[in-house]
Amino acid sequence: MIKPPAEVLYEKELAALREEDQGVKPPNWLLSPIYVRDFIIGRNQPAMLDGEEIAITRKFYGNDILIERAIVTLAGNRGLMLVGEPGTAKTMLSELLSAAISGTSTNTIQGTAGTTEDMIKYSWNYAMLLDQGPSEQALVPSPLYNGMKQGILTRFEEITRCPSEAQDSLISIISDKVMNIPELSDGVLFAKPGFNIIATANIRDKGVNEMSSALKRRFNFETIKPIGNVKMESQIIQAQASSLLMYSGIDTEVDIDVVELLATTFMELRTGMTNEGYKIDIPQSVMSTAEAVSVYVQSAMTSYYYDHKFISLSRLVQNMLGTVAKENSKDLQVLKTYFAKVVKERAKGNELWNAYYQEKKWIEH
Amino acid sequence: MLDLEKLEELFAQHVFNLEQDIIYFPIRHHSPACAYHLLQVLDQYQPEIVLIEGPEMANKLIPVLVDEGTKPPISLYYSYRNTHNPKKKVAFYYPMLEYSPEYAVLKQASKQGIPVQFIDLNYRSKEDDTLAKLAKTSFQDESLLTDSQFITSLCEKMHCRSFNELWEKIFEIEGLTKLSSTFVQEVFTYCTLSRLCYTDEQLQEEGNLAREAFMRKCIARAKESYKRILVVTGGFHTYGLVAPPTLNQSGSAVAALSGTNEQRVELQEEVTKQEVASQEKQEKVTGKQQGEEQIYPMVYTFEEADQLNGYASGMPYVNYYQQIWKQLSARKPTEVFKQSNLFMISTLSKELRKNEETISTSDGIEAYAMIQGLATMRQKREGGVYELQDSITSAFVKGETSFANVKPMELLSTLLTGNEIGEVAPNGFIPPIVKDFKESCSKLKLHMRTTIQHRKPLDLYSNEKHRQISHLLHCATYLDIGFASKKSGPDFVNYIDIHRMREIWSYTYTSLVEARLIEYASYGGTVKEVVIRKMEDELEQIPSHHSKEYAKRLMESHRMGLETLSATLYTAVKESLLQDGSFLSLCGTLSILNHMYSHRSLLGIQDESSLIPLLTQGYEQAVSRMYQIYRSQPDEHRECIQALKILGMLAKRDDANFDQERLLDDIASLLQMPDLAPILEGACIAILAQAYPVRRSEIVIRARSYILGTPDKVKLISSYLQGIFSTARDVLLYDDLLLRSLNELFINLSHEQFVEMAPELRLAFTNFTAAEVNLIMKQIAQFYHVDVTILEEEGISELVLVEAKTQDEAVRKEFAKWSLI
Repeated sequence: MIKPPAEVLYEKELAALREEDQGVKPPNWLLSPIYVRDFIIGRNQPAMLDGEEIAITRKFYGNDILIERAIVTLAGNRGLMLVGEPGTAKTMLSELLSAAISGTSTNTIQGTAGTTEDMIKYSWNYAMLLDQGPSEQALVPSPLYNGMKQGILTRFEEITRCPSEAQDSLISIISDKVMNIPELSDGVLFAKPGFNIIATANIRDKGVNEMSSALKRRFNFETIKPIGNVKMESQIIQAQASSLLMYSGIDTEVDIDVVELLATTFMELRTGMTNEGYKIDIPQSVMSTAEAVSVYVQSAMTSYYYDHKFISLSRLVQNMLGTVAKENSKDLQVLKTYFAKVVKERAKGNELWNAYYQEKKWIEH
Repeated sequence: MLDLEKLEELFAQHVFNLEQDIIYFPIRHHSPACAYHLLQVLDQYQPEIVLIEGPEMANKLIPVLVDEGTKPPISLYYSYRNTHNPKKKVAFYYPMLEYSPEYAVLKQASKQGIPVQFIDLNYRSKEDDTLAKLAKTSFQDESLLTDSQFITSLCEKMHCRSFNELWEKIFEIEGLTKLSSTFVQEVFTYCTLSRLCYTDEQLQEEGNLAREAFMRKCIARAKESYKRILVVTGGFHTYGLVAPPTLNQSGSAVAALSGTNEQRVELQEEVTKQEVASQEKQEKVTGKQQGEEQIYPMVYTFEEADQLNGYASGMPYVNYYQQIWKQLSARKPTEVFKQSNLFMISTLSKELRKNEETISTSDGIEAYAMIQGLATMRQKREGGVYELQDSITSAFVKGETSFANVKPMELLSTLLTGNEIGEVAPNGFIPPIVKDFKESCSKLKLHMRTTIQHRKPLDLYSNEKHRQISHLLHCATYLDIGFASKKSGPDFVNYIDIHRMREIWSYTYTSLVEARLIEYASYGGTVKEVVIRKMEDELEQIPSHHSKEYAKRLMESHRMGLETLSATLYTAVKESLLQDGSFLSLCGTLSILNHMYSHRSLLGIQDESSLIPLLTQGYEQAVSRMYQIYRSQPDEHRECIQALKILGMLAKRDDANFDQERLLDDIASLLQMPDLAPILEGACIAILAQAYPVRRSEIVIRARSYILGTPDKVKLISSYLQGIFSTARDVLLYDDLLLRSLNELFINLSHEQFVEMAPELRLAFTNFTAAEVNLIMKQIAQFYHVDVTILEEEGISELVLVEAKTQDEAVRKEFAKWSLI
């Protein structure tokens, strides 16, 4: 598996927590709300599984209060809508929540501009339909259908990318918890307890559709903000990069100093403000944590295969170019100025930053 | 380190032993749960006296505090002024809400006829020069309690975002259902552990040790006459009261715990003696005895009581806990938070709908359900204010958190704080000025019940009552008590916006306003008296020859409707006019006096007879010093022109006896001075020409002398014109002589010369209105026998030109062929 789902990745932690959990669980939940929270934000005390101590690590960095609200929302009547800028780990949070609550994070609708109502509700196996007429066997269930039937969470990724009319098919399902299938004689599917929807959405990105007020009313919104702390961002990059590299079969160590340098660069370009408090230009491209992880992983992979090193700064700068100059070639200028002003200044007193500054040649071409 | 067992023992034997002569009830200021248990303990223990942590001086105010007419939020206001250095002031608030344990026990004890005493020091060692800073100083500073390291790590462990959430979780929500003794023990343990994070030196520095020594002294005194004593102090101090630190550094605080009972008592007494002695010694050194101190009861507001607004005492979300307190008296303690949350959600929904936000009942239901869910997850018995906020964030905010979506959260935060103002029963302690101010406000129907910013438009011309309000608000502004600010309206002193018919004010009554009024208590008994006294103080500071400053004060006194003050000021202005030797200052004064004269009915000047002599006197003084403008600096020229204009204008008036001839004679002699600045020359000749039409031609002659002069002089024509146009721009309009001369000059100028002079010339012509410019344009057009519309005609288009050019070329070619050219 290139990228194992959360329930596989954290299989042991989940099993250990399930074993320990004596709390009251909402119907069909595998963990009680407190344990779901602990799974996501970690805790100091390890859990025991078959006599083995399993550390419960922090998987989501940011606002812990938001996690609590999100969990309680899922136990209630409304769906959970995670909104925020691209790359703020909305998808990861939604995976973690469904893995902890329902034991699977793969019951997912991937929203696109081409998503239709059929894909959201159900469609038919036409060969069987023609052969037998409408029957439950001929029905091809959607993840939403599965969620309702089994009483598990359904994830809806990128809901705002779907056309508004497709989005609206959710309205009555969320409020009534029932899906009508007029083709079948007893065609009413009542949702089993435990069913709910976690949707993720970009609101300000290019190419998204407006959500109707009716749909908005049926969701509780949680806005996920980009991380505002270099140390925390470095931890995330380190954790995610090392797991991605491990799954790519690359035996390498993540260099924390380089990660911190990368995190600093990304944060400063994202906020338009350096650590020293100087204002700098902001590129149009999204300088998210997810992008930083991908820059690191790519650089580590190229360095590993071609340079036989863990990571080289020249590869890092080369890969950074691709990220920064994604939207607009003028953004290259922004990066160039950043090197000329900020990196140059820091290079005077710091060896790593000096080496970083030497790689500015890649930007100049 | 102190071990918990010892702490438990100390608690059981010396802090809260109902069999003992004294019990200590540790509280957190403004905690409803503490107040609830305190009242129960009062019932159970039936003390002979209740001692409360509060300024000792306030004992005399207790009857006022417990009066039926007093409605919290109220505050004690203590002020101290160093007599040697009156600028060194100290002021403290001691706020009390309905649910403050101190207030609740005070009220209940007095109902049951149990005597109550305050036992804390009045004075704290912080001194400050500014009143503004005093605004946030409280007697109940809790920063030591809430900031300790112990609390920070505890919050992290308990998944609480702040000390306040932790407090609410453990004490407000859980505490309500516990036995009083258990509750008290928990508060004691908690506060003591928090206290032990500080060293004695730190506590000494903050003044805590001295205060505790004083409290112990008071308790010891009470012990002589009473058998059962209930001591109510901040939880932080309880440990200091039962186990005082040793001053001679022979051991740590633990020493007090470890000895036998007798040893403890002995040690305590010794320490108290030592501390009181050292305190007295210190007081002598700092000269504290030489100051004057005052204490007053005053109203307070929810807004100011809210810790979140920057006051380092008590609980945040005052209105929320007020609801809790109300519910506590009506239902079982197990349901109060639920009911309060429900009340808050429905009030918020109603408010939001008023603000045209679409909030449905289902949103409310969702929020309420969410509170329960969050409470279970956070292991709270009921959801509190933090769950309420979280549920509103989730259920009421639709879409991404952004500026467009903050309305529900904004409204919730104002709702949680509340905007009530308290009330103090009529009494002899409130300074008369406060009473007078409030009475004036209520007579004029100004809102004093809530702390919202009220907007008040005033029709100055048509409404007598509005004029009175305006007077009062001007007085308040003058006293700088932070009550009102003028948003728009005429400003007669600076002569801005005088065409406005209305004044628009915004005002709000807060305890800060009251505190500032109290500060003025020594100045007089009514607002008017205080204003007069302050003005008199100010007048003493103004040098006697600054007539303009006096005139400004006179104008102000009329804006404030103070006739008696005006009478004194008339004399002051008259005297200063005689002493003022500066032409410009005199003319400034004249200008203010003139404005007063022209708006005399609005300013309420009944008797103009005192104003006219001032005007004539000022006029004469100014004319006799007019020669000064000859020596004036270039940057004063504009002001000089204004001064000349005023004089010229006054001279033409016949309602008073202004000596016009003298002015004109003096101007004429000024004009004969060589090297008079061209701008002033222009102004002088223009005034003269207005009075004597015979001299009009002189304007042109003088202009021509510049025009035909040496190149350097030519440039000065623009300055000369500026002088003329700013005083008498009609010279260009009533005949065309000057205009012709100017026209002549301009057409003879080289392009470079013209470009160089253009900006200054432009400036000169800015004195004309659009209509006048049009008129001048017409005149010039007549010189050339063209119609003025020629300027509006479009130029020949490029196309026509090109066509004509090709035609011309074609004809030329043809003519050449025919050898005609």
